[in-house]
Amino acid sequence: MSKRSYLLASVMIAMIVVMALMMSMTGTTVAQDDPTATPIVAEIGGGGGTHISFWNGLTGSDGVTLNEMLAVFAEENPDVSVTVEMIIWDTLYQKLQTAFIANEPPDVFLLHASEIPMFGSFGVLRDLGDQYVSGGGWLPDDDIAATTMSGMILDGTIYGIPLDNHGRGLWINIDMFEAAGLSTDPADAPTDYDGWVELFQKLTLDANGNNALSPDFDPENVVQWGYAVGEWPNVNFIAALYQEGGSFLSEDGKTVTVNSEAGIAALQKTVDLVYKYHVSPPEAGFDTWQGFGAGTLAVLPTGTWYRNQSLLQTDINSMAWPNWVFGQQPATWFGAHTFMIPAGLGGEKLDAVLSMIQWVSEHQVDWAASGQVPARLSAQAALDPENYPSNILLGQTFGEYGVQDPRSPAVQEMLTNLAAELSAALNNIKSPEEALNDAAKIMQDALDRG
Amino acid sequence: MFSINARTAMSTRLTRFSVSLRTREALAAYAFLAPFMIFFSIFFLRAVVKAVEFSFYDWRLLRPSKPYIGLDNYRELLDDEIWWLALENTIKFAAMTVVGTTAVALAAAVAVIQPIRGRGFFRVLLYMPSLLSVGAVGLVWVWLLSTQFGVINYGLSFFDIRPINWLGDPDLVLPALSLTTIWWTFGFPMLIFIAGLQGIPHHLYEAAKIDGANGLQIFYRITIPLLRPTILFVTVTGFISHFQVYGQPYIMTGGGGPGRASYTVVIYLYQMAWRAFRMGYGAAVAVAIAVIMAVITAAQFVIIGRRVEY
Repeated sequence: MSKRSYLLASVMIAMIVVMALMMSMTGTTVAQDDPTATPIVAEIGGGGGTHISFWNGLTGSDGVTLNEMLAVFAEENPDVSVTVEMIIWDTLYQKLQTAFIANEPPDVFLLHASEIPMFGSFGVLRDLGDQYVSGGGWLPDDDIAATTMSGMILDGTIYGIPLDNHGRGLWINIDMFEAAGLSTDPADAPTDYDGWVELFQKLTLDANGNNALSPDFDPENVVQWGYAVGEWPNVNFIAALYQEGGSFLSEDGKTVTVNSEAGIAALQKTVDLVYKYHVSPPEAGFDTWQGFGAGTLAVLPTGTWYRNQSLLQTDINSMAWPNWVFGQQPATWFGAHTFMIPAGLGGEKLDAVLSMIQWVSEHQVDWAASGQVPARLSAQAALDPENYPSNILLGQTFGEYGVQDPRSPAVQEMLTNLAAELSAALNNIKSPEEALNDAAKIMQDALDRG
Repeated sequence: MFSINARTAMSTRLTRFSVSLRTREALAAYAFLAPFMIFFSIFFLRAVVKAVEFSFYDWRLLRPSKPYIGLDNYRELLDDEIWWLALENTIKFAAMTVVGTTAVALAAAVAVIQPIRGRGFFRVLLYMPSLLSVGAVGLVWVWLLSTQFGVINYGLSFFDIRPINWLGDPDLVLPALSLTTIWWTFGFPMLIFIAGLQGIPHHLYEAAKIDGANGLQIFYRITIPLLRPTILFVTVTGFISHFQVYGQPYIMTGGGGPGRASYTVVIYLYQMAWRAFRMGYGAAVAVAIAVIMAVITAAQFVIIGRRVEY
């Protein structure tokens, strides 16, 4: 090879390198506001008095909201100061386990209700029944919805105090609905699978402007999708499963039942949205939030936490809708951020932690600014409809027909494997039946191990 | 008088306890090695021994009882379909990436060793991706390969090629991750190859030219044979590195998707140990990975190394 050829080759390689580096520096093609900076560690209060440590996984704007609330708490309670560490959820689970082994857990931490079986079964959580009125405490039991309260209890013991309900709903692009001649009133939402498919078809457009109902529609050249199946398939599947009358586990909790007829029907309907009706891209390779923000997605299946993002996207005219109904009955997934305390905590620190939890619980209306739905029914009733329409709308659905993650110490392992198998089905690698059979086998092993 | 006697006595003792030069050199070597060996023993060797020990137990982090189960973890691993799938993916990825990285690094080294203007600039430029973290590389390439906003698909659109779902197609995802990794990591082997190329005596090239050999003949008959020790080093270290791939699929394909098409053994190790909290089984996976890497490395030495002359 001549020197000239080498020079040419090196210049070409260099150009590729420069192009890639420039891409990394210039960012994206979609206009976005800068995210609110969230400190990893926040020192709240003067640092004097009783000092407590608090770990949570609220690394988004919800963490900012909670820290603002705690700052007010610290002002009103100068004898307490708090170090808040915000750690992404996956890392938080790991860090908590190692902290318990090292006998250095935080004084209080926030997890999801679905993790109570895992940590509760290891005996590391404090019984918080004495904080409820039924146990002589301050929190009225009937101020928590039954669906939420059930998640706090393991083998008859209450291990948590719920902060919120966070769960699934839809965000719709109002302009796209109006352009398709569709009503944006949630009361007019379809009530069955065929109705939803038709709605998505009207909202899915190819490059020539034909919608998915048109005989001239080109499914290989879609520029606007009606729906996207790639947004957290696990929780969408759980909702669809219950809508079909199925369940995640058998009644005795010992058998995985996701591969029931109901489960297969639920997943088949979702897969059909991609490969039969062509109203959704495959699960992999499509960023749903970016698609909605860029105006290429009409209906975004997401959660209460999207409220603040939607407010930032001033160029997208959007609003919340209740979750879809693909089956015979409504259902939507929700979880609960929950305060938990290590079993060994006592003395002044325990008093300080309990006073903080009580204060936050009694100011849950302010927590609605995070986008989540306050756990206390009295706080839900006190929400301002002008400022918190999504919290109110979706909060009602959680109370009426919300379903939660399966309750098992092996929940993390089960959900990790379910996600991989759902991904295989939603990308046409496996049939729904094959994927769910494989998922059930792996999850059953995890469940049996406990 | 006193000092003379004292010196004499001391000299006698020194003679009696004097050590040979060879022993003194050995002691000095051990003294220099000691800080590393202490660090290695505490933070690495002990961890390795513990991991092997854990692999014989049903070891859960917070569970009080940790029963000894012998080889049960290894038996389970042999019957574990996900493990074998992850191993297959990992071997494919490592093979593609080692071959690709070695070829690109060698080509780049040959290019930037030429006496061209701006040679230093090109060397720095080509090495720069190696300085990036896996997080930065992963995020940049997710954007480059995106079906929605990606520059690569945008470029292909000028040739009437529809957007390709690089990271969503089970047949393309491993090559796409490999391409990303080659771009990211070829800088270091390029430096090794530059050093290797500079070590080849120039008179061999002159003699070949006098004998009428063309460029390709010179490359395949002189450069490649004399670079064989360098190629062995690059492929062995590259394989060890790429077999442990974790960050790229974790960031770019959501931890091994679509389905488990880019699921690798280290992701499996991580998920067993830190999602399922099965430390014993995770340790068995780690030991299995180490054994496989040792076997393949030995095979590389046999296949490539037998024709190496140092």
